[in-house]
Amino acid sequence: MITQYAGIAPKGDLLLLQKLGEKLAGRSFLHINSTRSGGGVAEILNRMIPFLKELGIGARWEAIEGNSRFFDITKKIHNALQGNVEKITDEMWDYHLEINRKNSKEIDLHADALLIHDPQPAPLIEFRKDGKWIWRCHIDLSNPQKDVCDYLTKYCKKYDSAIFSVAKFAKALGIDEFIVPPSIDPLSEKNREFTDQEINEALLKFNIPVDRPAILQVSRFDRFKDPIGVINAYRMVRRYNDSILILAGSPATDDPEGEMVLNEVREFAANDPDIYVLLLPPFSDREINALQRVATVVLQKSLKEGFGLTVSEAMWKGKPVIGSAVGGIPLQIIHGVTGFLVHSVEGAAFRIRQILNNPEMARRMGERGREYVRTNFLITKQIRDYLAVWYSMENKGRSILEL
Amino acid sequence: MGEEGIEPFEFRQCTSILKSTGMKAKNLRELRDRIATASDDSIFHHTYQYFLKGHILEYTNDFAQWAGESLEERALSEHLSNVDPYAFREISDLRQELLRVIDGYFSVFPEPREAIPGDEFYFNETVTLIFPVGMRARNLAEFLMALKYIDSGSIYYHFYEARVRLGSGIDDFSLWMEDALGKRELAERIRAIDLFIHSIEGIREHLTMAIEKELRKEMEFPGVER
Repeated sequence: MITQYAGIAPKGDLLLLQKLGEKLAGRSFLHINSTRSGGGVAEILNRMIPFLKELGIGARWEAIEGNSRFFDITKKIHNALQGNVEKITDEMWDYHLEINRKNSKEIDLHADALLIHDPQPAPLIEFRKDGKWIWRCHIDLSNPQKDVCDYLTKYCKKYDSAIFSVAKFAKALGIDEFIVPPSIDPLSEKNREFTDQEINEALLKFNIPVDRPAILQVSRFDRFKDPIGVINAYRMVRRYNDSILILAGSPATDDPEGEMVLNEVREFAANDPDIYVLLLPPFSDREINALQRVATVVLQKSLKEGFGLTVSEAMWKGKPVIGSAVGGIPLQIIHGVTGFLVHSVEGAAFRIRQILNNPEMARRMGERGREYVRTNFLITKQIRDYLAVWYSMENKGRSILEL
Repeated sequence: MGEEGIEPFEFRQCTSILKSTGMKAKNLRELRDRIATASDDSIFHHTYQYFLKGHILEYTNDFAQWAGESLEERALSEHLSNVDPYAFREISDLRQELLRVIDGYFSVFPEPREAIPGDEFYFNETVTLIFPVGMRARNLAEFLMALKYIDSGSIYYHFYEARVRLGSGIDDFSLWMEDALGKRELAERIRAIDLFIHSIEGIREHLTMAIEKELRKEMEFPGVER
């Protein structure tokens, strides 16, 4: 598997992976999250686990089981951590812990290193057995609801270290806190190269016209992704530029609000024949890849964002991307170089028009964006970073490690 | 000079994993106070390691970049960009220079505004991993070929980081060219490359040009001792 990335990923990343693999071969590495489908975490784990196994590391992936009450609570916790006002009662926190207690009995928690993804399974630390425990936070913690953040912090402080996607999400937890951006897999069905025929086949069912520029946003139907704002921006653009808008997203099993937001979006689109609202089933990677490849410009107009990997996905396909200056998006978009950062619906509309009217600039941005993703946001780098974090924890106190 | 007995150049590379210190600054006064107390590792990261990040260079360290982009204090960012970390033997001296520049700014200009929430300066450190690239050069032609293929992290390690590691302010490349190949002039030309003005890819281009020129000279006048 690692040889497949030769010629795509930076050589140094592949070399370091092999070196770290030699150091950690035969050790066990357990990842735990809350869903096997939907969202960026599950996508990356799907690809990362076989990769780690090939390096000789005993990698496992477990997803905690929960009912709708549990996921309603964790969704509220998630929203509160991203700055929404939510009331999480003691009873809800107790239930959060209780479901994790049940899962701790079902999942074999013995491992040399454990990476626990996001708040849903964070209380598993209460049932730790052995190994190094690392809490991996993928969400935007820059402006959380204080009481919810404080409660969760009680769990986080018990970990050996934490990993955040962006430095500004890190909290003073009193443990080692590493910064590791997430990544995309250039060989996955969602990002691999497609032929024109493959693109056409994948998009046939959507009846999307290809004779006009397409503006695309791919993301879950979630208010934080501001799909209504995207439609408003599109309506401003269309006064000047004939184009179509595609809003495409998959549902996630841990997001009970998704359907409600989808209905709001459909209502707001009001049967406009040029707005395509596509609810894609989980694992619609082929369709997303094809959509990103036919798009003229790609948006990620989130109001809050963990990292916003759809930005890197589109950049990898050489597309100019317009993103909000939130979460990890400014780490991916260098304003005016690899895309545009915007702060409003009006800003998004203006930049869309600028790109639609400057194909040469769009091409240049796309090229630079692809190279920026190659060196910073490919899966090989993320796996490298996870192993480096684990290895550095085994060599605690040393800031320079020779391999 | 024949190749017998020449010490080959072994390419190595370094990569850094970011660590948060938990410290941040929302205005210039806080930045000043944090610089005064931040760990040496953190000061090192935000100055020496700036070049490893592959930024589009407008500044020469993170402090200057933040002053320019987030506080929009252009004059301060110019002053901070002019601080050469390689001119100092100790981090403590570099720290004092940064503080001197900021204090000097305070004495002339009014207090700058605060950064927009979310745009604060975050003090980080790194864990650096160093590893061999698995490539060696026994002569200048092989070196040139390797230079085309190594990652930017390798150029950083040998061209930037070496100046601190060796403590002499000299890079690994020119040292090898002078000591192992006896090419003093070429070494001097490489030492004259301004490491603050170019990105790492720019450094790669300048190194390539200097070495190609040297090789061409050798090919045009074979056997002539230089």
